[in-house]
Order: sequence, then structure tokens, then C-alpha cells
Amino acid sequence: MSDDTRTFGDYVRGHREALRETDRTYSVRQVAGRIGIEPSYLSKVERGHVPPPSEATVVRLAEALGEDPDVLLALAGKVSSDLKDAIRRRPQLFGELIRELRDLPDHAVLKLVREVRDGDW
Amino acid sequence: MIELKNDGLQFSFPEVHKEARLDIDFQRTLRIPDDGSNHPLPPGLGSFPLQHVDDFADDISERWLTHGGVMLPMYQSEAMWLNFSARGNGFPYPVAVKIATGKINAVTGEEWENGLHADPQDYVVVPEQPWLDGYCVEKGIIRQFVAMPLGAGYTAEEQITGEAEHGGIQVIAYPMRREAYEEHRKKWKVEGWGPNVMGQMCLGSIQEDAAMYDMGLAPGGRMRQEIYDDPYEFNEWDTENASRCFVHIANSMVWRSITGKNPPTTPPTSREYTKAGLPWFEYYSDGEAIDGSGILAGLKSVIQIGQKKGDVPLPENESVTPGNVVQLRAGLRPGQVREGQF
Repeated sequence: MSDDTRTFGDYVRGHREALRETDRTYSVRQVAGRIGIEPSYLSKVERGHVPPPSEATVVRLAEALGEDPDVLLALAGKVSSDLKDAIRRRPQLFGELIRELRDLPDHAVLKLVREVRDGDW
Repeated sequence: MIELKNDGLQFSFPEVHKEARLDIDFQRTLRIPDDGSNHPLPPGLGSFPLQHVDDFADDISERWLTHGGVMLPMYQSEAMWLNFSARGNGFPYPVAVKIATGKINAVTGEEWENGLHADPQDYVVVPEQPWLDGYCVEKGIIRQFVAMPLGAGYTAEEQITGEAEHGGIQVIAYPMRREAYEEHRKKWKVEGWGPNVMGQMCLGSIQEDAAMYDMGLAPGGRMRQEIYDDPYEFNEWDTENASRCFVHIANSMVWRSITGKNPPTTPPTSREYTKAGLPWFEYYSDGEAIDGSGILAGLKSVIQIGQKKGDVPLPENESVTPGNVVQLRAGLRPGQVREGQF
């Protein structure tokens, strides 16, 4: 079992169980049902007995748990296909950008996020 | 800060708390009949596409650019509802949200001002309020948001102010103060419930100069929906940290010429939808409802104005009797929408 597999499973189980404290519909069975996988498979994923599921399933799982899909994909050792496409289209630019940004503190990176501009009204 | 993600507005207040996040999206839906009877909740048919106005600076009015914000397409007489989701690890972070159309508050009918007011309450509290479908005209009754061209005299703004100046939708969100959230969170942890479980368990002279594509919202048919009383202390809202956004509404007929993208197709009529046996919804919660606004109660509906003008503003306004009504109770999943496929 790789560290990635274990981290992903622990994270998913931790979040699902936190939600289950206030809402019983966050059982393994019901969450699995909502995202269209077998409960036994979700249970194995959570225990790290199998590698993280496909990108599409990870995204559905993130939606079901109210988590950010990019965070779950990263924990699963994956990069979402839209990000892969963006890098493939301009590999040099994005490669350089990510290397430049990787050590910056969060607040400095957040300045690059595109905000909806508020004007005068 | 507000980001545009997946055709929704994602509000976050990292300076207040990392869990202080709110998502708002604008749901396409059926237009309920404007026939005086009270209807259950119509479904969500997917989000309207959203775009930054700044990306189309050459093709939109100077006024929209001055307002900033985003834009979405609606057909004339199309309806919408606002879908709210609070985020937070296990316990959603409460956010107070004030909504206006044409700078007329959708809860009180008062003209827009920044800030929150407790008496009368001029905002909704998310997650207790999962959605808002229209103007709060009576306790437990709203009149559906229906798009009409700005300048034609139908919008709530024109009926109340006599002017067709602003159009669109205005949103401002205030998170709960950090300390107040932490206090509630401790209590919710001990008691094993959170806000998601608890709470969820007006004609004057008309200006003709509004741009042809500029739309506003007008009061349509009547729907059973409660606007919930704020269950928190008023001083628990962090009024120092707000984010606001102007959401412009472009007529769908010109959306393609502005953005190069097709607008969504027209939604089914209430009659077609009901005939197909698809679900309508009723929502039940223990939350206290606030009273309707006297100002908004005085608004005429689109049909009432149309009759006065000799127009037929709403095609296919036949009454329906929803047979398949799904009951939703408090405690929706994060991001859960009233889903209806067609």
C-alpha cells in the first residue's frame, strides 16, 4: 500500500465520518450509492486496500462530501484533466509559472486568483 | 473575495475563517402559472452560465462595466431561483445574504443599501435558507422571479421607483464573526447537530433608454416558500467583512452575439413538465418564517400589468395541478438542488 493510497483513504474516511456525526446519510452505503459505486469498494478505498478510484469517481466523491475536487484529486495523486489540458496547451508557460509560484505563501498566490470585480453601483 | 467557479459565485472570507464559504448559483426553472393560486416549488433544471462582464467589454454597455461583476442570459418571461450552499467541515458556516433585483430588496421591498438590518430583517441566513425563488410578498408566500425587459414597466424596480435604472440582481454576503462561529461549533459538536439540521429541519414613468438586451426581474406567479427568521444574535454577523456582486441579466437572444456561446434552451412549460409526471417540491423546516413585505405585497404581477396594458406578456400561462409533489425536509446534502430532469 502506497502512502498516497493511505492518505487518500484516511482523508475521505475522516471527512465522511465528520459529516456523519450530524447526518446519518453519510454512511459508507449511502455515500457509495449517491456516487454510483459499490459500498464494499468505497470501504476498501477508505482503508487504503485499493488505489484511489478514477478521476470521475473522485470528482463525484468530492461533490458528495462537499470537498474541493482538486484537493481530493491531488491526494489521489491525480491532476484533473482540465488542468492537464491547460498545461499541455502551454507547457513551457505553465511549467515556469508553477515553479515560480510553488514556494510562495498562500496569500501571495491568492492574489493571482481571478476575483469577480466589484464596481460602482 | 468572490470567484466564478462552475457557473456559480463562490464567496470566501479567508480573512475571517477558512471555513467561511458560500456558493450561490442561479437555477433555470419552470415559470409557474401567474394565476393567483399558490404553487409548490418547481425543480432546478441546471445553472445559468455566468461570465465576467470584463471579458466582453467591447460588446456591453459602459454602465455594466462600471458596475463590474458577472452576467447571465435569460429569455423574456423565463424564471429563475437562487440556490445557496454554505460550506464548512461538518458544520456549515452561517452567512447572511442580502438579495436585491434592480436594487430593490427581495425580502423587504426597500431600496438598496449596504449593511444588514434586523428590523425588519432584510436578509436571509444560509444554510437555514436553502434557496430563494422570488419576492417575499406574504408570510410563507413569494412571487416568482421572472425576467422582463428593463424599460417595459414590469420589473419590481420600475413598479416601486418608477425608473428603469439598474436591472439585474445584486448580492451582498456577510459571514458570521469568527468567535461566534467557534462558540456555536463547540455547542453543535456536543449536541450533535448543526445549523444544517436545525434550521433546515410595486407604475410610474418608464425610461426608454435602457439597452435592448438589459433585463430585470419582475414578480410572477405565487409559490409556497418561507423566508426564515435569523436564528442567531444580530451582533454575531461580521459586518466589517462583506463581499458583493452585481449580476447582470442579458436577453438570451443577444447572448450569442456578446459571448459567441449559445444560451441554454428554453425550459419546458409548467404544463408540459406536470403532464410528464415530473416532480414538484415542498420544503419543511422548523424555522420561523418572517412576515411578507407590505411594499412587495403591493406589486402587480406580470400578468396583472399585461392585462392593464393590453399585452400578453407570458405565453402559455395555463393553470396546472402538480400531482407528483416530493417532500423535502431539513438537512439537505451540501450542494443538493431540487433536481428535475426533462
